[in-house]
Amino acid sequence: MAVKTEAAPYLDVFRPNAGEPAWLRDARAKARDAFVARGFPSRRDEAWRFTNLRPLADKPFEPGHGKLELKPGSLPKGAWFASMARTLIEKPEIARRAIGESDLAGGQPFASLNAAMFADGFVLALDEGVTLDPPVEIVHSAGDGSINLRNLIVLAPSSRATIVERYCGEGAYWTNTVTTVSVGAGASLTHVKVQDEGPEAIHFGMVRAALEPAATYRNFGLTLGANLSRQDVQVAHGIGSIVDLAGAYLQRGDQDTTNAVVVDHAAPGATTRELFKGVLDKRSHGAFLGTIRVREGAQKTDAKQTSRALLLSDRASVDTKPELEILADDVKCAHGAAVGDLDKDTLFYLRARGIGIDEARRMLIEAFVLEAFETVEQPELRGHLAARVRVWLEAA
Amino acid sequence: MLEIKNLHASVDGGREILKGVSLTVRAGEVHAIMGPNGSGKSTLAGILAGRDGYDITRGSVIYDGRDLLAMSPEDRARAGIFLAFQYPVEIPGVNNMYFLRVALNAGRKARGEPELDAGQFLKTVRNKLKLLEIDDDLLQRGVNVGFSGGEKKRNEIFQMAMLEPRLAILDETDSGLDIDALRVVANGINRLRAPNRAIVMITHYQRLLDHVAPDFVHVLSEGRIVRSGDKSLAAELEKTGYAGVGV
Ligand SMILES: Nc1ncnc2c1ncn2[C@@H]1O[C@H](COP(=O)(O)OP(=O)(O)O)[C@@H](O)[C@H]1O
Ligand SMILES: [Mg+2]
Repeated sequence: MAVKTEAAPYLDVFRPNAGEPAWLRDARAKARDAFVARGFPSRRDEAWRFTNLRPLADKPFEPGHGKLELKPGSLPKGAWFASMARTLIEKPEIARRAIGESDLAGGQPFASLNAAMFADGFVLALDEGVTLDPPVEIVHSAGDGSINLRNLIVLAPSSRATIVERYCGEGAYWTNTVTTVSVGAGASLTHVKVQDEGPEAIHFGMVRAALEPAATYRNFGLTLGANLSRQDVQVAHGIGSIVDLAGAYLQRGDQDTTNAVVVDHAAPGATTRELFKGVLDKRSHGAFLGTIRVREGAQKTDAKQTSRALLLSDRASVDTKPELEILADDVKCAHGAAVGDLDKDTLFYLRARGIGIDEARRMLIEAFVLEAFETVEQPELRGHLAARVRVWLEAA
Repeated sequence: MLEIKNLHASVDGGREILKGVSLTVRAGEVHAIMGPNGSGKSTLAGILAGRDGYDITRGSVIYDGRDLLAMSPEDRARAGIFLAFQYPVEIPGVNNMYFLRVALNAGRKARGEPELDAGQFLKTVRNKLKLLEIDDDLLQRGVNVGFSGGEKKRNEIFQMAMLEPRLAILDETDSGLDIDALRVVANGINRLRAPNRAIVMITHYQRLLDHVAPDFVHVLSEGRIVRSGDKSLAAELEKTGYAGVGV
């Protein structure tokens, strides 16, 4: 078996767990083989062009430790919310859905590595018609090494939930998460993630979501932390389903982050709204890659993508790459991208009312960022995100 | 209170717009500055409030004994200078009330006065709103967002009423107002008239001056004050046009 150089260290640390069911051991072995044969994505790979993997390749991480905390609030009947480790034992038929063919095929190397290595994660599963309110929360705090988390969210038809994930930690570590999402017919999921990792960390997050007819999936991401981070969200629409993807990334120092979203319209009548806001200070770098694929037969697709970034320093930079592949004819698709600095006239207006320049800048950046979270329905959640943004701004 | 002496200003690296403006404004006075389009009225107002993008090549501006041109825009505002913008900007995502409270408290803090809490602030807002006949719900929006032209102008005067400046500079606050709105805005301005305050109104028309009687009227033309007089000068201008006064 050919093993790519950068993948070799991970092969060495791979140790099958004899206590696991045969199907899982089998899947892990296949995923591992796929990863070591494929290695890291190359920068020639369009989707990884802007993500610098050098820090990972230069210094491989030993398997590490983190603390996963689940805050269920009050769970209604028909709701399962537990760690992946526990779900594997108590509800293996649900847990199995967290691993898919693509993990075994190796097309997404870090997802395959994750399948081979993960020790834990969270699982949220709702039976038909169940409404989860208030939101459930997951907090992961990382300690060291590489931490692979495998998460699963399964909403049966007509169920509703809001879930908030938060990632934090201290030290030099690598968090690699893969989250499989399935939203049943007429069900609705609001999925919020706050990436607040420590300044030396690496964070990769991959979400793969499949929607059934008339499902609604809203994904809100706030990227603040980590030295190097990447968030992938890949969504497959159902007939008439609704997708709202919004993200804000605030970076400074020499932070580097990529948001890569791929939305696939294979079914007709579905709606996609994407809004990404970047704030880049000092020498930081951001990238937004947005693919919207409208397949033949996906008539009446309505898709809109917007990406905006503020560059607060001469040395900060951003790359934006919208990609619309449209094979149906009766569709509405639009995209727009803009990069700039704060508006001078607006800044002057605030200052002319006595507001100091730093506070005026903060107010305008905050307003710019929070537009991404305007469609978060719960006011407390919106307030929570706004507060996180404020903390970032005031730390300058 | 304000002493402008031989002020020359050009656009950054470009042509000269103000070519020697001199003007003295004392506490308690109301001045009107009139003049054709492009004569430099907004440039003068902007320079007084601290807008950047201009080179001051000659002259000085003293405000309450301080070198005004050396102060930041926020320091000028905190020292009591208020500019009602000819074109107020829209600021989506910055709530009107929040903005006003931050502005008000920034000024109070700088003057060593206690900041207003939410309750006190709200009470002041209610009073001034009634005065300017502004809808409550406008305040819950982003600053000037979705406001009509008239509502924006009224909002400027509302902000002025809240901030209680010592020197108010109103840049064409009357343009685009219907007669009822003009009356309301004029009322707001008249309420601010006080022995310890001064007002400089920039306008094209006699009609604002019918409601707010100025003590002095100046005609600005091509960057210079070419005539000054009392309010009869405004009436004369109305009759003869700028050409009639030799502009
Ligand atoms: N930032 C600027 N850049 C270039 N020209 C300017 C700028 N600001 C003002 N001007 C020019 O200066 C002149 C005076 O403008 P302004 O002060 O707005 O006149 P007014 O308010 O009297 O109509 C005009 O010819 C205008 O085009
Ligand atoms: Mg003007």
